[in-house]
Amino acid sequence: MVNSSVRTDLPRAPGLARSPWTWLLGVLVLLGLVAWVYELGHGLAATGMRDVVSWGMYIFTFAYLVGLSAGGLIVASSSEVFHIEALRPLARLGVLTAAVFSAAAGLMIIPDLGQPIRVLNLFIFPNWTSPLVWDVTIITIYFLFSVLELWVMVRRPEKKKTLTTLAFIGLPLAVLLHSITAIIFGLQMSRPWWNTALMAPIFVASAILSGTALIVLIAWILQRYNNLRIPAATWRWLAGLMVMALFVDLFFVASDYVTIAWDNIPKDRQVLDLILPGGPYQLTFWFEWVLGGVIPFVILASSKLRAKASNLALAAALILMGVYAFRIELVIPAFVNPLIQLPPGTSLGAVSTSGSFQLVGHYSPTWVEYLITVGLFALTALAIAIGYRRLHLGRTIQEAAEHVAD
Amino acid sequence: MARWGMVIDQSKCVGCWTCAVGCKAINDEPLGYWWNRVLTTEPDSSAQVAAPATPAVDVPHGTYPNLELAYLPLACQHCNDAPCEKVCPVGATFRRDDGLILIDYERCIGCRYCVAACPYGVRIFNWGPAKREPDFVIGYGEEYRTGGRLVFEPVRPVGIVEKCTLCVERVDANEQPFCVDVCPVGARVFGDLDDPKSEVSVLVNDEGAEQLLAELGTNPNVYYLPSSHPSKVSD
Ligand code: SF4
Ligand code: SF4
Ligand code: SF4
Repeated sequence: MVNSSVRTDLPRAPGLARSPWTWLLGVLVLLGLVAWVYELGHGLAATGMRDVVSWGMYIFTFAYLVGLSAGGLIVASSSEVFHIEALRPLARLGVLTAAVFSAAAGLMIIPDLGQPIRVLNLFIFPNWTSPLVWDVTIITIYFLFSVLELWVMVRRPEKKKTLTTLAFIGLPLAVLLHSITAIIFGLQMSRPWWNTALMAPIFVASAILSGTALIVLIAWILQRYNNLRIPAATWRWLAGLMVMALFVDLFFVASDYVTIAWDNIPKDRQVLDLILPGGPYQLTFWFEWVLGGVIPFVILASSKLRAKASNLALAAALILMGVYAFRIELVIPAFVNPLIQLPPGTSLGAVSTSGSFQLVGHYSPTWVEYLITVGLFALTALAIAIGYRRLHLGRTIQEAAEHVAD
Repeated sequence: MARWGMVIDQSKCVGCWTCAVGCKAINDEPLGYWWNRVLTTEPDSSAQVAAPATPAVDVPHGTYPNLELAYLPLACQHCNDAPCEKVCPVGATFRRDDGLILIDYERCIGCRYCVAACPYGVRIFNWGPAKREPDFVIGYGEEYRTGGRLVFEPVRPVGIVEKCTLCVERVDANEQPFCVDVCPVGARVFGDLDDPKSEVSVLVNDEGAEQLLAELGTNPNVYYLPSSHPSKVSD
């Protein structure tokens, strides 16, 4: 049946079970699980978080994963809504990443909970004034929606009307998902760094940016190692999307910097000084602005450089790092200097040799946090690979690509 | 219905930490956990939102001979419009009709959103199994429920948030919070803010007691008499 319809000259994914990559990813997933079991036994004391910096790697990775999931749906829906034929070959891949990454974002929250066993309380006793409840709701809807859209695309591709309707719903849904995730932070007046009306626009821009970069990276891997041919027009659109999103994203972030620097309100200024060059968190600045900002911008803006797919992939990889740095910069520095910061400081909820109070917060993730986070990324990659193969996306990408004029 | 509140007179406070240690004892707070802390500050309360002048406790601010020293005893402010309550996704943090903000230990999922949202930094998460010295239950020692919800027990579960309960079990038994009882100089006054004749109401309405970070609109039920307030030594 399926096999007979596959033309042999069309690329197929290599046997997953035989690929060493699958095994590597599998081992990483296992290690993540082991770390999680360890965390369950020791409580969140196994992490680097304490009462001053009380959110860490899990939360900034969560925000990152949500961003990656929005991009896929935006690419997929734009091809339909704005009739961008060149993006159509990647529509299914986009929706697949949307589904996988929104599920991963939801999963990332679990190890961050002190009482993971009570996670269902979110659905049993939802408190509707909490932005977290809005976010849980929109992520759930978004995940179910992407699964539905993917199902229609693969199983009922002849239903053009339905697909168009879904695309029109998908676009605002992706924007909403991002705005609400931003609002978790943006509404908190106790954290001046977060409390800006620009938070939702920044999140939407960075989602389009990182989501598109992810698609570029996956498409390049497929072209390079799987003999898939992605049309030049498609690359051009993706490059254009990335450069626009990069510009808008950094423009919003810069607007925030300028406001804080000029106002010079102590609590805002303290955070900005943490991340600007010379501050203890300056690494995030360099990653966001230079490695993931200026360099990819130059690559994407130069018509000579962006003509090569491998350069686009390089730009995409740098952008992905830059956006991750932005998530770190957003979450951690906001905790370092609490509003009321007087000696001896906040009690840590732990005893250590340096006492049980901390005036200025410190955070560095432990091996448990690294392993769990890497494990989840590995699981995500596996899910994409399996989905790609099971849904025969390679074949459909190639077929759609033939209709795209170069 | 009463609305319970507290006024802390900074002009009387000597920074002895008796309230903090008393709180730790009656509530069985483990090592490294302080529901109530006594911070060193300067009399000008706006200093609270800037960087601290010195990282050391009990060190006066200013240049000799113009030195100033004041203390800010800090625990949950029992806000009437409490950010922690608004952000709690499961309603584990709730406000009782008499103004007490409490945490249902059986419902909290440990997301720590409330810790991020509280402007006063007074919420404490149970990161791992608690350590206690001496390792036996002292203080109130029993579980306490209000409206069926578990809001205190001597050994708290790992993975949930705890904080000052305004000694709910004592208040319900017509007693004062323990910190008020143990303060050696009578710097802490407890009472009903809805009763205009109560001592706390008089201190708020006539003596100029102020809320901490009032500009945020959290409307706390805990007030402070600034250290510049002429201290009336009680006879
Ligand atoms: S002080 Fe903090 S913990 Fe207490 S009620 Fe206000 S916001 Fe909640
Ligand atoms: S940690 Fe507990 S009390 Fe705090 S917001 Fe989460 S569920 Fe509510
Ligand atoms: S017990 Fe009284 S005097 Fe001592 S620190 Fe507490 S409020 Fe101040």
